[in-house]
Amino acid sequence: MATVWRSQCAFARFFAGKTGLILNNTADLGAKVRPDSISVSKRLYSNYGNSPFVRRIQEQYAYEVVKNPPEWSYVERLLPFEGIPKVTPKDCYPSGWIPRKEEASNLPYFLQRTKNEELSIYLDISCRGMRKISKIKKIEGDIWLLNDELKEYLKNRYNRYIESRVHELAKFIEFKGDYVNALKEWAHSKGF
Amino acid sequence: MGSRQITEKSLAMLRSLPRISIGNLRDNPGHKKNSKRGRGQHGGDKHGAGNKGSGQRMNYMRLGYETGNNPFYLRMPQEHYYRGHHFRRQYPPLSLQQVQLLIDKNRLDISKPVDIASIVKSGLYNFFPDQKHFGVNLTDEGVDNFAAKINIEVQWASEQVIAAIERNGGVITTAYYDPHSLFLLKDPKQFFENGQSIPRRMIPPPDAIEYYTSAKNRGYLADPEEISQDRLRLAQKYGYELPKLENDPSYEMLCERKDPRQIFYGLDPGWVINLKDQCILKPKDEELVRFFAS
Repeated sequence: MATVWRSQCAFARFFAGKTGLILNNTADLGAKVRPDSISVSKRLYSNYGNSPFVRRIQEQYAYEVVKNPPEWSYVERLLPFEGIPKVTPKDCYPSGWIPRKEEASNLPYFLQRTKNEELSIYLDISCRGMRKISKIKKIEGDIWLLNDELKEYLKNRYNRYIESRVHELAKFIEFKGDYVNALKEWAHSKGF
Repeated sequence: MGSRQITEKSLAMLRSLPRISIGNLRDNPGHKKNSKRGRGQHGGDKHGAGNKGSGQRMNYMRLGYETGNNPFYLRMPQEHYYRGHHFRRQYPPLSLQQVQLLIDKNRLDISKPVDIASIVKSGLYNFFPDQKHFGVNLTDEGVDNFAAKINIEVQWASEQVIAAIERNGGVITTAYYDPHSLFLLKDPKQFFENGQSIPRRMIPPPDAIEYYTSAKNRGYLADPEEISQDRLRLAQKYGYELPKLENDPSYEMLCERKDPRQIFYGLDPGWVINLKDQCILKPKDEELVRFFAS
């Protein structure tokens, strides 16, 4: 790109000089054109969409404008959603996805779901796959009580002490080890 | 020199020395360990890290690197599996499980035909036509739990997937789209706002024609008669009763297909969609009509 620009500049300079000379030689014609009036305009037509619009289209091709066309439903079908669609209650969910239950709001703590209606329980693998940390995010309410209950639940399930870290301000709890499935099962059993 | 003399001499030396104070105390030699690694004359050698490399810098060698040996993966001079891999068409996978999840979460409207535009519209699937992605490969994960009656159009599908969809009374078609049409399908709104006319879909390249003309793959260029025969054959192979499409209440939706030259359902090539005024500009010029009809 730089070389192209430089060569364009060189061409402009060269051209300006030449015309100046030519004009000086033909001064008897009475035409007064200053050499600085020459400009090199740069146009990028690399994209079809960048090229200028065709004006007076009627001269080009015959076309008809259909207002309120019957095919407009096909266009609307292609346009993006205005927001994330609400999940309507169904008899069964064959994909295995479990909806939120009302009973969950009576507990002293609450796990908020993501905008895609998924539980925010994740596995964080770091240190070249050597460190696995299960993380529960978006916890509202009594986070310490939730921590105690989860620790008890995991201890009963795996018969060993499991280390946890509570971050009250950022509303998350981390468990040392891969317990994502167990935590998700627990959350679903509570109705989150 | 006897030990007695040594003791006496040491005691005499102690007596002549100044008294022990904070000024002349010193650690035992070798007691203190410097946490810093000395450089040059200050004890600078390898410090147990070996000479250069991962030992010193705590970096990890690249995969397959054998510390200067001719690596195994380069030892055999010719392996042709990946020749031209950067030209091959890629079909990023989407499993039946994911499709079912989209349906369960109301992201896919199955009362209308499903194509790649509606799958991308759901917001939970993405693909990149500029990275040689040529559309959806519908995979058989979650094949047993799939329970939706859909008219779906994908770019690649296995036999099991076809059977799973037809068992539920649905219809599947595999169709080819050139990268330019895929750009339009990925973001139709952006294209309509451009004010350009909808182009024609290109025909498949020579090496893809076989796939898309085969009834076994439910190709969009296959003979419909052969497809209906193959539907029955597949039902017998997998042992399910083929639901009759003709008796279905949503028969019209299930029969809806695109023209091989069409990119969007119901919108013909050559039309210009005006989103602002909600109108469609249709060409009347004979030359244009002939061009877009081909």
